[in-house]
Amino acid sequence: MLNAIDKQVLKEVADLEGIPKGAYNIRKNGKLLGREVSASINIETNEKGDGIIIDIKPGTVNESVHIPVILSRAGLHDTVYNTFIVGEGSDVTIIAGCGIHCGGKESEGHSGIHEFQIRAGAKVRYVEKHIAIGDGTGRRILNPTTKVFMAENSQVEMELTQLGGVDEARRYNEAVIGPGAVLIVTERVMTEKDQRAESKNEIELAGTDSKANIVSRSVIKDDSSQDFYVNLTAKAKCYGHIECDAIIMGNGINQTVPALRALHPDAEMTHEASIGKIANDQLMKLMTLGLDYDAAVNRIIQGFLR
Amino acid sequence: MLELKNILFRTPESDAGAQSPAGRTIIHDLSFTFESGGFYAITGPNGSGKTTLAKLIMGINELTSGKIIFNGSDISNLPIHERSMAGIVYGFQHPARFKGTTFRDLLSVATGSDDEEKLVEIISRVGICSLDFLDKPVDSKLSGGEIKKIELATVIARNPKVAIYDEPDTGIDLWTIGPMVELLRREQKENKTTTIVVSHNKSFLEAADTLLLIRDGKIAYSGNLAGAVPILEDLSVCTFNELCQGEANAQCYR
Ligand SMILES: Nc1ncnc2c1ncn2[C@@H]1O[C@H](COP(=O)(O)OP(=O)(O)OP(=O)(O)O)[C@@H](O)[C@H]1O
Ligand SMILES: [Mg+2]
Repeated sequence: MLNAIDKQVLKEVADLEGIPKGAYNIRKNGKLLGREVSASINIETNEKGDGIIIDIKPGTVNESVHIPVILSRAGLHDTVYNTFIVGEGSDVTIIAGCGIHCGGKESEGHSGIHEFQIRAGAKVRYVEKHIAIGDGTGRRILNPTTKVFMAENSQVEMELTQLGGVDEARRYNEAVIGPGAVLIVTERVMTEKDQRAESKNEIELAGTDSKANIVSRSVIKDDSSQDFYVNLTAKAKCYGHIECDAIIMGNGINQTVPALRALHPDAEMTHEASIGKIANDQLMKLMTLGLDYDAAVNRIIQGFLR
Repeated sequence: MLELKNILFRTPESDAGAQSPAGRTIIHDLSFTFESGGFYAITGPNGSGKTTLAKLIMGINELTSGKIIFNGSDISNLPIHERSMAGIVYGFQHPARFKGTTFRDLLSVATGSDDEEKLVEIISRVGICSLDFLDKPVDSKLSGGEIKKIELATVIARNPKVAIYDEPDTGIDLWTIGPMVELLRREQKENKTTTIVVSHNKSFLEAADTLLLIRDGKIAYSGNLAGAVPILEDLSVCTFNELCQGEANAQCYR
């Protein structure tokens, strides 16, 4: 049931060789291509029919669920609303992501809205990769939204990656972090040609002793542009850190706007932000180890986006 | 054999800040020959031009005039990586801190191999870096001593013909200095590495066959350590604390 393009997209988006093990839901061109549930992970279409509900039973450990999206029809703009309910004390990995294969002149796009209800003590690793391939000239558009609601002592680690190919991306991340809960977000974006990417983040440290660490790594090549906004708001005794680094190559432009708002006297918040060209001392070091200029640049970017 | 022939380095006009007058000369018409397989220590006051000299040899700084001849060929115009390919490697005084790049990455660039066994072998040959370092990012979180150990290991990993270490002992604990000197000596003996160490540390000055004293961008002395003492005494500022043996010898070498 998977054709060659599907396979290539799945490989790049979810590192899958064919159909995954465990629970999965593969969506292709706005329709269900395949689904499998497990004893502790249920997947069903929601009432409105515009997405799925992934229900992970309390205490589910060491399981993963894959929910890749394949888009390969010109002119299609697909929107999906998925809800994840992660039961108490579970420890799971969610592999999401969308791959566009564009073969025509018309634009193609996907807007995925992912809502997470993370119950007490649950631990989630969420990996989302966006890619776009194909020879078509149509613009490839990806507008992901995540909304994360974290109960006490839960942990969520989000790895959001988009390395080239996508012409327009508008990301919106929202999170409300409960008492003792920890959110770690790492976003890696590389844009080239005339691509545009924007990421807006509204993170609320709502519970006592909640923690957030928001890391953004951007590489902006050619004539592309990237904007990164994060509002970290503290409403309790908490700890929050933002780290955004942007490397500009060619004529790229970037805005990085980290904001810290302490609405509680015991909030502890820090941020580091940098925008600039590849550091000269890093280049020099790699060249003294035998790499020519271009190879040194590649190595540095590779490490930076890892 | 590495020959420096009348090398001169003047700071580019554009680099000159408000304070420094345009085109300040840092290295003045300096000539010296490093014999293959020798162990050299370079010392001298802060700001005398030691790092500048080392960077000229590596190609990080561009010569204003003069020539550098390495084993008979003129390398004065070779870019950094080609000098590295020819066998010259420089360990930085202030090593670069990356983001994301790990010690493993640097070692595999240095050796041209990803082979786990080979990397582990290098780490054990170097001895002073723990194996746990391998997957550590070489970033601002490393301590001053840790990053210097990593820097040294990456130089050794290239099996250089000429290794230049710029103050390798900065931040290194008391227990590691001895083994570090031993390591560089062993590399010199076993691999015939021409070893050049920029240092203010007595241990390195004593380990070297030849000491070069740099002052105001010139070689003020070259020879053995004993012969250098009168000139060290002559320096108005004593930067050779390591040579002073506490209160009893508080006169230093002034
Ligand atoms: N590119 C440059 N532009 C302007 N000034 C420079 C440049 N490079 C070096 N200098 C100056 O040259 C002088 C020598 O610097 P260098 O780093 O070589 O000294 P050093 O002997 O290594 O000192 P230290 O013992 O402190 O490491 C200093 O005064 C420094 O400010
Ligand atoms: Mg120096």
